[in-house]
Amino acid sequence: MRKFTQSLIAIIISLIFGALILWLMGKDPVTAYTDLLRGSGLMEKVRYSGRQNMFTDFMSFIDAMTPMIFASLAVALALKGGFFNIGVSGQMLFAGFCAHMAAMILPSKIAVVIVGLIAGALIGALIGWLKYRFNVNEVVSSIMMNSILMYLITFYINTFYINPVSRQSKSIISAARLTLSGFRWEGLKIDIALAFPLAVATALFLHWFIERTTYGYEIKASGLSPNAAYYAGMNVNRTALMTMTLSGALAGLAGVSYFCGYLAAIQPGVVPSMGFDAIAVSLLGGNNPVGCVLASFLITVISKGSVYMSSRQNIDMEIASLIAAFILTFAACSSLLGRRRK
Amino acid sequence: MLDMIIIDGLSFSLPLFIMAIGGIYSEKSGITNLALEGFQGFGAFTGAFVTIYLYGIFGAESQVPYYAGFICAVIGGGIFALLHALLCVKFKADQVISGVVMNILAMALTSFLTKRINASFFGNDANKFMLSASARITVPGLCDIPIIGAAFRDIYPFEIMILVVAVVMWYVMYRTVYGMRLRACGDNPHSADAAGINVYSVRTIAVFISGCLSGIAGMSFAYSVSANFSPDIYLGYGYLSIAALIFGNWSILPALFACLMFGFARSMGAAAIHQLGLPSSYNDLVRTLPYVLTLLLLVFFGKSNRSPRALGQIYDKGQR
Repeated sequence: MRKFTQSLIAIIISLIFGALILWLMGKDPVTAYTDLLRGSGLMEKVRYSGRQNMFTDFMSFIDAMTPMIFASLAVALALKGGFFNIGVSGQMLFAGFCAHMAAMILPSKIAVVIVGLIAGALIGALIGWLKYRFNVNEVVSSIMMNSILMYLITFYINTFYINPVSRQSKSIISAARLTLSGFRWEGLKIDIALAFPLAVATALFLHWFIERTTYGYEIKASGLSPNAAYYAGMNVNRTALMTMTLSGALAGLAGVSYFCGYLAAIQPGVVPSMGFDAIAVSLLGGNNPVGCVLASFLITVISKGSVYMSSRQNIDMEIASLIAAFILTFAACSSLLGRRRK
Repeated sequence: MLDMIIIDGLSFSLPLFIMAIGGIYSEKSGITNLALEGFQGFGAFTGAFVTIYLYGIFGAESQVPYYAGFICAVIGGGIFALLHALLCVKFKADQVISGVVMNILAMALTSFLTKRINASFFGNDANKFMLSASARITVPGLCDIPIIGAAFRDIYPFEIMILVVAVVMWYVMYRTVYGMRLRACGDNPHSADAAGINVYSVRTIAVFISGCLSGIAGMSFAYSVSANFSPDIYLGYGYLSIAALIFGNWSILPALFACLMFGFARSMGAAAIHQLGLPSSYNDLVRTLPYVLTLLLLVFFGKSNRSPRALGQIYDKGQR
């Protein structure tokens, strides 16, 4: 409950900060903020183009939010076990890439999910193994892995898998894509995120897994105090490996729902910034799986709604990422004000 | 051919080196610094803004905007770094999280401000500051030496600046009282405190310095890589310099060798690929090299690689 209050305070301070900036720019903060909600399909817009209404906006919003849930869960689980998985970006990219490759051989949605899961888990396991076998700090090895994977995948895409028009990778075929793009129903065109139920179910499962199972207890204990866990007879190394593997698997799911769902192609030359944002989102959610879903919801409202807000209010789109960055900064401060009080 | 390798290699390694020194300062004092990427971006942003603002006053040919830009990049990077120090030292935030958040914040803040400033100062809606190309200096005499003469040909003025600053920074770190205190704070802050050192202020200053040095690096990259400031400056060079400082075992001279190795591997790879007539996308294979090397080093020589002992630990005076 205290964590919840802290996150709430961080959000409120940041929204006030954002409102101040908007006001200084001569805009009305209240209209701007309601435009965020309108753009995310949570409130009625003034006008809709053909085949669109509030429901289709909301479905696209869900589509954008799905990978963020997985990514923040990946971070949260690792943090519970005392690890910083700063490599979520790289794991997402690798999983998305492997899924793209797999879809060319076996165009099926289930294959995409499984391949992504395994690909992410492999990278996570590698990082965990380096940690306990060679005592390589997981933050350092994750950063190195991010860059290595990014350059290798960029090379492959630019050489063998490029779409020369969009300068991105080729698109995944729609039979394997995890988002039903432009699905016709009642005269509407809807984007349906098929992975969204899986994301919510995963969050609930993780909550149960961490709070109610022996494995979850071991992860928590090793995270809080590895020595105490060791002397209590737990296999700390195995737990470390398991934590990072599971975290990588979740990052893999984030990767496929991002690159083979929300997007259909991979942009070469960058790591997805979502992996870094997810660290802060997880923090905002108090490292709690359910909190992660709520925090992802909020951050996605800001990022997704900003397109509509900037076009309606003639404000730079960058303001949205700025407000999101403020929230994350204050969350980083507040979660630790709490630790001090303990 | 060989000349190009040396010239390009140096102009890439030296900014990387100065940023790695910044990282060493911060980490030697006990503050983990993943925020170098954000610091260099913010430094480059302030530097580029001042530079093009001064173009309007002095004209693009003058040398004043160039050097004023670098000074402001130093100040901008330093001030932004104080935020990281505030979070890590004062609020006792987790240093890794704070570093990540600083990078996100720097990116969001500079993209937003670049657009706003372009709109209100310069009346366009571009998302970048265009810099004019940096002048290049050739040292007469020395440049005629075979092979290594290339190291004195077509050098950017900032390369000399970086070398001078690096020497000063080396001196401060290893030969002054402040440097010794800084290293003490990173190894055993409680003993340092008992000896009468104010750990908080030493660490704050160290992070400030790392921001200043990263600012130089960011401005150099803005000149050498793209001749503009845009959000594209966040290419991960900050992370590369972290790799360099780990590779250099948190010491300044070995970090220089790491940076030179990374820089020359890059320029040699590019040259080899050009020579073999392969498409430029093969460059990306070469670029994995620094990271793979660092990872292998950590795996095989992890035992001899010693980070400062109190690195990443939150220092609390009242803690036992």
